[in-house]
Amino acid sequence: MKIGLEVHVALPTKTKLFCSDSTSYSDEPNTNICPVCMGFPGSKPVLNKETLILSANIATALHCRVIERTSFVRKVYFYPDLPKGYQITQTEGAIGNGGSVAISGKEVRIRRVQIEEDPAKVVRGENYTLLDFNRSGIPLNEIVTEPDICSESELKEFLVELRSILYYQGIDIDREIKTDLNISLAEERVEVKNITGVDSLLKAARYEILRQGSLLEENQPVKRETRAFDEKSGVTVSSREKETEEEYGFIFDTDLTFYDTKWIEVKKPVIPRLVAEKYSKKYGYDEEKLREAIYLNRDNMDMLAYVDDGAAIEKVVNLMQKLRSKPTKEVIRRLLNSDINNLSREQLERWVRGEFDEPEPVNMDEVRREVAELLRSDPSLSKRYKENKNTVNFIIGKVKKKHNVSYNDIVGIVDSILSDNQV
Amino acid sequence: MNAHTVMDYKKLVSVAKNVDEKFNAFNAINENLSGGRPISVKDNICVSGLECTASSRVLRGYIPPFDATVVEKLKNKGFSVLGKTNMDEFGFGSFGLNTEKQTKNPFNPEYCAGGSSAGSAIATASIKDHISIAESTGGSISAPAAFCGVVGFTPTYGTVSRFGLIDYANSLDKIGVMSRTSRDIREVFGIIRGGDERDTTSTDREVKDEPKRAVTVVDNLLDLVDGEVKEHFQDLLGKLMNAGFKVNHTKIEGIEYAVPVYYIISMAEASTNLAKYQGFKYGKGAVDYGTDYNTFFKRARASFGAEAKRRIILGTFIRSASVKSRYYEKALRIRANLIKKLKVALKSGYLLSPTMPIKTPRIDEIERLSPAKIYAMDVLTVLPNLAGLPHMSFPYAYPEDMPIGAQIVGDHFDDYSVMSFVDEWEKSFKYKFKYSMG
Ligand SMILES: [Zn+2]
Repeated sequence: MKIGLEVHVALPTKTKLFCSDSTSYSDEPNTNICPVCMGFPGSKPVLNKETLILSANIATALHCRVIERTSFVRKVYFYPDLPKGYQITQTEGAIGNGGSVAISGKEVRIRRVQIEEDPAKVVRGENYTLLDFNRSGIPLNEIVTEPDICSESELKEFLVELRSILYYQGIDIDREIKTDLNISLAEERVEVKNITGVDSLLKAARYEILRQGSLLEENQPVKRETRAFDEKSGVTVSSREKETEEEYGFIFDTDLTFYDTKWIEVKKPVIPRLVAEKYSKKYGYDEEKLREAIYLNRDNMDMLAYVDDGAAIEKVVNLMQKLRSKPTKEVIRRLLNSDINNLSREQLERWVRGEFDEPEPVNMDEVRREVAELLRSDPSLSKRYKENKNTVNFIIGKVKKKHNVSYNDIVGIVDSILSDNQV
Repeated sequence: MNAHTVMDYKKLVSVAKNVDEKFNAFNAINENLSGGRPISVKDNICVSGLECTASSRVLRGYIPPFDATVVEKLKNKGFSVLGKTNMDEFGFGSFGLNTEKQTKNPFNPEYCAGGSSAGSAIATASIKDHISIAESTGGSISAPAAFCGVVGFTPTYGTVSRFGLIDYANSLDKIGVMSRTSRDIREVFGIIRGGDERDTTSTDREVKDEPKRAVTVVDNLLDLVDGEVKEHFQDLLGKLMNAGFKVNHTKIEGIEYAVPVYYIISMAEASTNLAKYQGFKYGKGAVDYGTDYNTFFKRARASFGAEAKRRIILGTFIRSASVKSRYYEKALRIRANLIKKLKVALKSGYLLSPTMPIKTPRIDEIERLSPAKIYAMDVLTVLPNLAGLPHMSFPYAYPEDMPIGAQIVGDHFDDYSVMSFVDEWEKSFKYKFKYSMG
């Protein structure tokens, strides 16, 4: 079995890809529109450069090479949702090429990450069709995989990985993800177009596996065709389009130019799978639990990185499962120093809001032990302290993660350790 | 500038109507014109509130909600739009005949006005001191300027914003100016030029005025010119030499590809630009919204003229995957190559040639020609257009009382240098106009 996907995700920009209209498409229909995204004669597209930055980061997170000069093409087809009669998209000049996403035991290759404009939204009624151009021109990334996915479980896993990678690129996963599914159990490829949402995608794939499987079992040929997924009935139906190779007549869009990408500072991408793997190895902790906690939760990811303590890992994961909003670093520390299992849900939430019932007890013996250890491991510290008392701030920084200690607390402890040592 | 009275505007509007009646110069006339310095605008350039059809039935009723950048700039400098000038549908034509109201030459209405900016040339040739904003893709300013005996300037690609221009072929389209003197062109170009954030391909780069004292004739290009036209052109070269110009001769290999390369690229681009005309949101729609999409599109798109349909079909074929590398991609390479060669030739001065290879033809003569023969008439104008080089057509002789034009070409961003050549020409040569209404 071979499955390849073309996944379309909306980029989180304020304005559209080629005009300055808002991308908020929940507004009153046909209010965020202008001559450009309506395709009025005489209007010209002007690229929203922010999409280059976002796409270069996404491409990098999918291990793609970011092309040095990116360019756009026109993909010509007729459909009422396409105001210009062509979609501005990318082919050879795509921003990202040749990447991969790791799943268990293999890599799913990413052929391309391309920037393109969303068509208008089609609303179908009983005997009418409505068009909402608020969506026309919203910037998308189309992520094209090679047909490397070989089972339903691999498909599921790939989608989980992709979602989490995109989550850390700021892609709102609640927004619709639209996918074209290419699936073949035998020779001929079947394409199921325009599937909205991850659940529907999995259902469509499952249905196609059954449908093509039973055809093969009965020695019947699987036709090369385009199908559509019907959400209500959960089945795919033939789109009755002509079964020839699609002909879009791509040409370079000469209203636009080549765009240099070398100026873009690509941030080191967060790959949640690798983060979970790292901490799991580091602390010998259950990788699956870590994944669950951090895959779609930046607060948890931050907490894990902030605490970075093997002894506290169990407690941290426990906290992650309990907390609903992001605690401050101070709250995290205090929670880790407390017996959180005995806190009521209500109490926990008050704590997260910073409302504590009583002042935090400080375990001075433990602070003293840690400070002594610090002074021992770095003999220059005592010398620097004698010259300048403010060296204490450095020591506070070191122990503050776990203990709510003050300047005076530490001065007292350091003085006492030093005088003990001189005895 | 003269102070215009209310009477002047009324008279001007009636003059425009008169010119339109005689030669079919306008698609729309601004009857409410009551102030400002009048200028006409080719009907593929958007003027807010005025119907803009590019002479296509498919766009009938389209009233742009915005001004093209050039129009906005001109209005800011006190110009007002007298009317929208007739043209070959979407710019598809070199003789002004691919429009429902076929245009006529003001020197003799049985002759062609040239195209596609036919109406702009007619208005300029007929109305006193008139200036018109025109547009060229492959020669649409030079050709009608030559046939109607006016000066037609096409700038370096990118120096004038295309925002508000209804696209024919985006990599070739250039908005330019027609007038009765090079001086007016210099003034208007100074107003409309410059980078525009609404047109990515526009640029703020400086434009030079470095007049040259030498012209180069491309001999193998001149070989393609009609004998009589060639004779007149030799006279022109003689005059220039007497005026102290050095005349060089050269040959450029591969110029025979210029016309096919131009048509391949322009048709490929045009066939995508015309995909937007579906009758949904503007222009002439299919009346029956109850049909399926295919029927709906077919009905709306049936209103394209024959030449537009031809270019959509050929352009779509050229873009198709099976032949794209054989035609389109090869054409792009040849285009790049020709640009290199032209720039080498331009090192020793301007390029000079007749504007059109034939004298102004009769309308019935052209109607008998095949499309391929008609396309071949663009051989002299497509070269600077393919290369995006600034060029200007100016009248230089009046055999049998009909004007003929020559075309002077400069290097990229040498736009003012090209005008300076024509400035000098105008000092020793007086243009003739059959009408000077207004
Ligand atoms: Zn818009």
